[in-house]
Amino acid sequence: MTGTPRSRSSYRSKGLFPLISLIAVLLAAPLLVVITSPLHRAAPEWPHVLGTLLPAHLLETLVLLAGVLLIALVIAVPSAWLIASFQFPLRSVFRWALVLPLALPTYISAYAYAGLLGPTGSISRWSVAHGGPRPDIVSLPGLCVVLALVLFPYIYLPTRAAFMRGMRTQLEAARLLGSGAVDRFLRIALPLARPAIAGGALLLCMETLNDFGAVKYYGVRTLTTGIFRSWGGLYDMGSALRLSMVLLALIAALLWIERRTRKGARQTTDQVPGVPVRLRGTKAWFATGWCSLILLLSLGLPLGRIISDVFATLDRPVWSDVFPAFGNTVYVAVLAAACTMGIALLFTYRERHGERSDVAIRVANLGYAIPGAVIAVAVMALAGAIDRQGWMSFALIGSIGLLTYAFTVRFLAVGTQPLYGNLRQQSISLDESARLLGASPWRTFVRVNLPLLRPALLVSALLVTIDVIKELPLTLVLRPFNFQTLSTTAYELASIEQLREASWPALLIVLCGAIPVLLLEKLLARPLR
Amino acid sequence: MVNVYSHRHYDTDKQLFEAFTEKTGITVNVVLADDDEVLARLEAEGDKSPCDVLITADAGRLGLAKSRGLLRASRSDVLNANIPANLREPEGYWYGLTMRARLVAYNKNKVKPGAITTYDDLTAAEWKGKVLVRSSENVYNQSLLAAMIAHNGHDAAAAWARGIVKNMARQPEGGDTDQLLALAEGIGDVAIVNSYYVGKLLASTEPEKQKAREVIAILFPSIGSFGTHVNVSGGGVAKHAPHPAEAIALLEYLSGDEAQTLFGAGNKEYAVKTGIPAPLELQAFGTFTADTLRLEALGRLNADAVKIMDDAGWR
Repeated sequence: MTGTPRSRSSYRSKGLFPLISLIAVLLAAPLLVVITSPLHRAAPEWPHVLGTLLPAHLLETLVLLAGVLLIALVIAVPSAWLIASFQFPLRSVFRWALVLPLALPTYISAYAYAGLLGPTGSISRWSVAHGGPRPDIVSLPGLCVVLALVLFPYIYLPTRAAFMRGMRTQLEAARLLGSGAVDRFLRIALPLARPAIAGGALLLCMETLNDFGAVKYYGVRTLTTGIFRSWGGLYDMGSALRLSMVLLALIAALLWIERRTRKGARQTTDQVPGVPVRLRGTKAWFATGWCSLILLLSLGLPLGRIISDVFATLDRPVWSDVFPAFGNTVYVAVLAAACTMGIALLFTYRERHGERSDVAIRVANLGYAIPGAVIAVAVMALAGAIDRQGWMSFALIGSIGLLTYAFTVRFLAVGTQPLYGNLRQQSISLDESARLLGASPWRTFVRVNLPLLRPALLVSALLVTIDVIKELPLTLVLRPFNFQTLSTTAYELASIEQLREASWPALLIVLCGAIPVLLLEKLLARPLR
Repeated sequence: MVNVYSHRHYDTDKQLFEAFTEKTGITVNVVLADDDEVLARLEAEGDKSPCDVLITADAGRLGLAKSRGLLRASRSDVLNANIPANLREPEGYWYGLTMRARLVAYNKNKVKPGAITTYDDLTAAEWKGKVLVRSSENVYNQSLLAAMIAHNGHDAAAAWARGIVKNMARQPEGGDTDQLLALAEGIGDVAIVNSYYVGKLLASTEPEKQKAREVIAILFPSIGSFGTHVNVSGGGVAKHAPHPAEAIALLEYLSGDEAQTLFGAGNKEYAVKTGIPAPLELQAFGTFTADTLRLEALGRLNADAVKIMDDAGWR
């Protein structure tokens, strides 16, 4: 990390460093299992996978990635700019509502869209009945749109935060020099927000790469479906793990691009929020119209379909399953978010005040880049090895503890990414002043860095919580006996093609995810100290 | 107590486990997850696994579980009497519990009943642009092709896969139900689907599915002269089962009249036990001769089937 203060004297609080390294190694362990597997694991079908499967799946992965990213940028960045800089009708509603699509699991939105605009969807059938064309969203281009509509908040959130803080002075100066709104956006705001946009784009890319349910239903071939095809179809876990390596390499490339994007970006210490300018007339209506359209497409349509399905299945006894699942979902989400955020903070501290960055922390942050089911297998391999020794009276596999650990492995990057991004915006001189006044690194972190981290911390906690609520493959296979969450319930119904009944848990997932979103917006609205 | 790892997410199973508990006093604990993940969990847990019964939705995976040493052989006269020999593992490692046929649904208004008698017929030029089928990710497409390899050899199976790809009405998308709905919308004339999805569609009260009921009929194609391809959903006793006796009791119950009838009535699956009537919705289309291929072959040839589909460009 460039510009990190180098602490050359020893402090008592450095005693935390070995502990942090130990935690990092524990979290990196399953990923090391995955990364080293090609060295020792046979892959009998690899020639076929390499020659036939990989080219087709890699190509479609890249097309999907580019498509989703492009559409999401077009949705997220202008929306963030509008919300951050202007005052227009319903702005305060859009401000938080535009984060809500995040609460919708991609596969649920994909099913809902297929039910509306698929070849036999209700809108398509209506169109054909009235002599119109038959739209088919269930295709690669359609999937790009559907995924972008659900995932764009990953970019919207950090970008809006960047627009709102940290560039007031520059924007004011430009305005006084007679620069127009569009000009200010393109020449000042956009370059200054580049690191935030890139950070969000990275999370969005990882989500897209790891998607399984939506991709499978839309018949698109990606690296992730290739992994499952090698594993479940070719019975060759070795090849599946090698494909995970290809996926990891792709993500490493994306990380590299993100770093390049960040390079040369100006740091700013301006923490004063800008005052939104009131829009009038057509401009105001355009802003309201744009945000309404995004909200309608990303949330209104799929949610409308889900709610209509809920009403269509009122007579079915789904409630009895859904209530305990709701409780379990909240339970594991809170547990996992608390655990992940605690560790993310420790890691952030270590990266900011350590002399050099910890390799284990780097590895531990790769969990988000590997499909959940592959992580599940690695976690089970490790935990199973411990369980088989019989040291404990209980088994790790099938315990809530192991499930929480697996969530932390998987979502650590989601927790740390916004924190790292924010720390980079904090001027080093703050730390240096505190240190010169005799504060230890830990005290500096707690008293100086942490208060400034608060908005990023909330974003992190929100993203992790929502990710856990939506998470499927880890929960599915690592869960205890008779343990249901909302997403496992929705998946079970969807996988036996009872999409209507799946609307019940789907709706609750959205409501469940909406709680942290609203909480976050309320807390962020408070002025900073 | 008996602990079950199952891929079957159906309501019927839940009802049956409850009925079993009521009858025997044995509690049933369940983890539901997908076949491959469940096998990985069993493998990782090794001799400390709490799992007693493994239930999958594909005979191939049962064969895989056996070859990886995750199941144990068990003897039960009840199971042997209830389940035909070709639908269970000869040494008792696993037992088929329900049967699904891979059949052809067609649009009554466009296709004459006798037009198709074998799967090969679907590759004829007259069906170009008219065949609906889901992606080759689907295990039932894979096992159908595996059965063809077993009977007719690799080359004939590969030619069939290429013929299907050539005749597809559209690139594969959605599940089996979606193929049936597309059939009703006239997007294709024939669809390769699983019997129980047809049964569920025909039993459904949802408006768009009722429309499909009016135009859809089914026929039972044959692999050459070998009969209609069937796969089973079944179970076996886990290698390190802590409660093996209860495990067998549960399997026996699931193979008995009560359970076999409910599998048909509730989930529209065919019973494995003889004498149990087919699901009501499917009875009207007549009876069929099921392929009697030993189902271990499906697991052995699954990888070959997937490779053929990749080569044929079957998405």
